[in-house]
Amino acid sequence: MSESEGDTVAGRSAGESDLAVHLDGITKRFSDVVANDDVDLRVERGSVHALLGENGAGKTTLMNVLYGLYEPDEGRVVVDGRERGFDRPRDAIDAGIGMIHQHFMLVDTMTVAENVALGNEPRKWFGLAVDRARIDREIRDLCDRYGFSVDPDARIGDVSVGVRQRVEIIKALYRGADVLILDEPTAVLTPQEVEDLYDVLAELTAQGKTIIFITHKLGEATHAADAITVLRDGESVGTVDPEGTSRAELAELMVGREVLLEAETEPVETGETVLSVADLSVIDDRDVPVVSGIDLDVRAGEVVGIAGVDGNGQAELVEAVAGLRTPDAGTVRFSGRDVTDWSRRKRIESGMAYVPEDRQERGLVMPFDLVENAVLGSQRGPAFAGDGRIDWAAVRDHAEDVVGTYDVRPATTDSEAADLSGGNQQKFVVGRELERDPDLLVATHPTRGVDVGSTEFVHDRLLELRREGVATLLVSSNLEEVRSLSDRLAVIYEGEFVDVVDPDAVTEEELGLLMAGEHPEGTTESETEPPVGGEGGDER
Amino acid sequence: MSDLLSRRSAAVALAVLAAVTIAAGLVFPDSWVGTVLSVLASPGTHTAMLRLAVPIALAAIGGIFAEKSGVINIGLEGLLIVSAFSAILVTFRLGAGESTALLSNHWWGFAVGVIVSTLFALLFAAVCIEFEADQIIAGLAVWLIALGLAPFASRIVFDSPNTGNVGTFDAVTVPVLSEVPVLGYLLFDTGPDVYVMLIAAVAGWYLLARTRFGRWVEASGENPKALDTAGVDVRKVRYAAVLLSGIFAGLGGAGFALGQLGTFAGGGETDIGGRGFIAIATYLFANYHPIGALAGSFLFAGLDAVQIRLQTYGYAVPTELIRTIPYVTVIAVLVLFGKTRLPEAAGEPYDPDED
Repeated sequence: MSESEGDTVAGRSAGESDLAVHLDGITKRFSDVVANDDVDLRVERGSVHALLGENGAGKTTLMNVLYGLYEPDEGRVVVDGRERGFDRPRDAIDAGIGMIHQHFMLVDTMTVAENVALGNEPRKWFGLAVDRARIDREIRDLCDRYGFSVDPDARIGDVSVGVRQRVEIIKALYRGADVLILDEPTAVLTPQEVEDLYDVLAELTAQGKTIIFITHKLGEATHAADAITVLRDGESVGTVDPEGTSRAELAELMVGREVLLEAETEPVETGETVLSVADLSVIDDRDVPVVSGIDLDVRAGEVVGIAGVDGNGQAELVEAVAGLRTPDAGTVRFSGRDVTDWSRRKRIESGMAYVPEDRQERGLVMPFDLVENAVLGSQRGPAFAGDGRIDWAAVRDHAEDVVGTYDVRPATTDSEAADLSGGNQQKFVVGRELERDPDLLVATHPTRGVDVGSTEFVHDRLLELRREGVATLLVSSNLEEVRSLSDRLAVIYEGEFVDVVDPDAVTEEELGLLMAGEHPEGTTESETEPPVGGEGGDER
Repeated sequence: MSDLLSRRSAAVALAVLAAVTIAAGLVFPDSWVGTVLSVLASPGTHTAMLRLAVPIALAAIGGIFAEKSGVINIGLEGLLIVSAFSAILVTFRLGAGESTALLSNHWWGFAVGVIVSTLFALLFAAVCIEFEADQIIAGLAVWLIALGLAPFASRIVFDSPNTGNVGTFDAVTVPVLSEVPVLGYLLFDTGPDVYVMLIAAVAGWYLLARTRFGRWVEASGENPKALDTAGVDVRKVRYAAVLLSGIFAGLGGAGFALGQLGTFAGGGETDIGGRGFIAIATYLFANYHPIGALAGSFLFAGLDAVQIRLQTYGYAVPTELIRTIPYVTVIAVLVLFGKTRLPEAAGEPYDPDED
């Protein structure tokens, strides 16, 4: 693929009149960062068009330009053959563009109907009341037409993530959208829900709607899209036809070099049990049981992965292990000692490293510089504070090591954590925790938001620790990641392990069913694999 | 489970205690329990309760709008003070006259009180929404400014922190309906300030629950980004909600001054005496429901009315102690019946460029 003006989809060339959306030479700068550099995008009416790129490639920025959230510095936005400039989302909505954001723009305390109509409520009685009957009727019509089933009176807080996404789509259609932009629509869905989403997209395009969907997952782009435009570093590297383009080729377009799509794991001799969780139950802040009777062993030199759709208790399980949440029942043993009642401090000092799920909430202090952030968790330890005072020179050296080794940019320890991009913040947190020389590493989404190149490095580092005999408990919503790194893979659903499988033998379909809480017929992995309770036979 | 049981048994214990007290009062009418009962049953107490509820209920309804939209307005106390003071001042200047019935100068004072409160709310809104100041500090500033400004202005005009007396609104008697037992003297033979309160509570509920503006207020406090992407200007909604809190609090302050006080003592904690803060406790107690806030204000104003009456019987329960009851009640209610959930985005300025 050359970097020329070759925007035309292989074999087909679309005239201007067939285009639902044409972005022409869009450039968008944020102070000194160029987020979009002269990007062209031509989307045919009635097609599914994937916008593929790594995190930070400028996909979302480009779509925010189309949606009127950002004003481009250069370039034209052409919708339905007419040049438009959208100052506000309202203008884009009026022009028939709807956007389904990665984080749903829904109000949990309000009903489906109220959310769908928000800002567009039909009124009655001279504007004195909302015509709720009409909203319900229109939602039912849309559901009938596109084959959805959604209860207009259900509260958003009570419905599943898949339904919420459906509500977002209905909301856009209700506003008369002809072009739907979906930002990473599959990130929060189970594989089955993803299949349902593909069906919905097919139904929508069959009825003349146009879909633009943003993704960094190669498989989704090739599976669902009629055309794929690849962005890299804010530039469009080309538009390709998914038929006849291999995943490896696409990956190379995305990253700009050849990429190993899966980490190489070689067998490692496992040692004694480092972490042993027995019959652990956690009740969350709303008094709902979120972890119920989980047994789990992790041995030295072993990576145990936990797969599951977000919100099925994995976060609470990990927090209980790390000492951030008091379990309701059960025990946590670490290196042979019962640490259930140990404080967080004691756990850190005895060799437990923790990469939290939310780096900004729990991993970093945003207004601190990287030197100050580097000492977090070690502020009392002998390495940096042997005599009760912090040895800042030593901390600075350590921070510079982490920044250098983990390729944190900008490569200076004087910048505040808040000034780093999300991926770089993540690299810094991972680096700090991995360099603690731990016996046990508890990591949640260690490469979330990290670009493919650095992901490779973090994966290599995790495997290196594994060779050195570190026990690792790994939670990730990235299925490829947990499958390629784990020695055993536990699938969690509604706070319980549905099964423990061999990550190399299980298929994606089986995993998807397990993540949805169903036991697929004829899976044999569970019989050949030791149960998660370990060799002791703590079977449940 | 055991949690629920202990809550239930606590509620049962309270009910039994209340029943025993009532029985004791009926059996021994001359004991202090009997006195309390007779005060509770007296129509005078009920009427006083309604009039004392005016500032609490209206400030609470105003506070609901502001907080639901995401702006915590703890300056309600200040809004009550400025509206009460300016209502008395303007009425006094225009001349209280003989008549305090409809269409007297009291209504000019009433209108100006509401306007002044709204202007203060506008200032508060600008500081919080435009300049993204900390809402708690800005709210405290509104209170402290009002606390200083009212006696200061009073000293200039009246040469004393206390204003002159302008009398109070006459009761407005609705023919026929006022003859209905109990409800008649309570609801149809009372001051215009009470009518304003009752109408405002229903109007506030309707506005919040049934109109599109009400839905926008809710969305603005729960997920402002959702409202923004739906094409509604979050800042405008919040401005409108905070201005409404100024209007409602103004109705409460001016209504209280002209319906109950007739004069305004600006010294110390002023005649408002913390009712704006009780209003905050009231709407939390009512979980942001305007009608519930009205009911809650009856409870707290009722305690105040009982306390005032008891003093005439020689039981001098300190006012200060009575004033703690709303807060103690709120804590008890929260413990017994679960949590009040603050709107998700309450207290945070909305910045459209932030993810």
